[in-house]
Amino acid sequence: MRKPDDVGAREWLAGVWLGRHGLGDAEPTPLIAARLEVRRRVQVAGYVLLAVFLIGVALTRRALGRPADFSSSWAPLLVPAALAAGLIAAQWALHLWVRRVDRRAGAGLSRRVAHPVRLGWSAVLGVPHAVFTIASFAAAMLLAASVLPVADITLRYGAIVVLITLAGVGAGIIVQLRHVLTSPAVAEDEASLTADVIMRVEDARALVMPTLVWSVPVVFLYGESNGWWSAASVALVVVGVIAFGLIHLRAAGAGAAARRALATR
Amino acid sequence: MIVIDADSPTPPYEQLRAQLARQIQDGALAVGTRLPTIRRLAADLGLAVNTVGRAYRELEEAGLIETRGRAGSFVSAAGEEALEQARRAAREYAEVVAGLGIDPAEALRIVEAALGHASVS
Repeated sequence: MRKPDDVGAREWLAGVWLGRHGLGDAEPTPLIAARLEVRRRVQVAGYVLLAVFLIGVALTRRALGRPADFSSSWAPLLVPAALAAGLIAAQWALHLWVRRVDRRAGAGLSRRVAHPVRLGWSAVLGVPHAVFTIASFAAAMLLAASVLPVADITLRYGAIVVLITLAGVGAGIIVQLRHVLTSPAVAEDEASLTADVIMRVEDARALVMPTLVWSVPVVFLYGESNGWWSAASVALVVVGVIAFGLIHLRAAGAGAAARRALATR
Repeated sequence: MIVIDADSPTPPYEQLRAQLARQIQDGALAVGTRLPTIRRLAADLGLAVNTVGRAYRELEEAGLIETRGRAGSFVSAAGEEALEQARRAAREYAEVVAGLGIDPAEALRIVEAALGHASVS
């Protein structure tokens, strides 16, 4: 059973979140607090999953050593591919957890509020974030595809793992983003409706954050030979971080983006 | 913003219809605005799909919205035209009232009586 202190802390954190998004006057209701709490837990679990995946891939490479060729052993491919599948499945389960908590919170409301205008992806995610995500995925996949013809078998295995992971994660992001955009509003008044759209904007932005896209191509640094691919994988991270920083600085905050989306007619 | 109160004596479809109609008539929802799909709005408001469908159907019959196949439902220009026609008629009535030297309060009572008669018939 939950201790009263936990409930107090949860609502205090909800109050801080509301204040940060310009909703300082709104009351941190149990509805908003519950929805924010599950998102916090999912965020932490997401970071842990990514760390486990990267450590798993690194340990696999170390444990299985350098294969002679593709026909000698499929293990260097199968194990990372299984890890990638596990990562995608776990991310999906976390996403469903958030949606389930939202649905349950909405079902308990006697008064429901909704926005009368359909919110599109550009209003929720924003064009800069969408373009950045597509460009990040495209650059990482192009890099991996370019490494495939390299003679170093370790690099070729790495390139296949990167391609499989990016394709799987990319497909997962598209499906989850569709859910974020189309999931029902969970609101009982104007403040909770604004909070709902802010959460939607934050969910969408967190979803397309290319942490994995920056992390996975680093496998190209561990080949037997160094070449343009090593520089390219570092450049991908550096350019990506700079571009992300610029978008973060120039794009409207989640609160402003949500208010703009709600004002759209 | 659309508010549906499950405890209200007004049926949910009427709450929805009246709020959308008011927002369209006062211009809060501009002509051409794309409304959420029936299914989406039903999920947002925790209503049955038929309930939202009925509200949309009545708004469509009143000429306030139009459904363009799979593209969805949009705020209709017909509603705006009807309002403009009503404003024109009001201006003409105001000119007649001023020309006849009728007291504005009396002119309003005449309009209220006419509106009451129209809603009964």
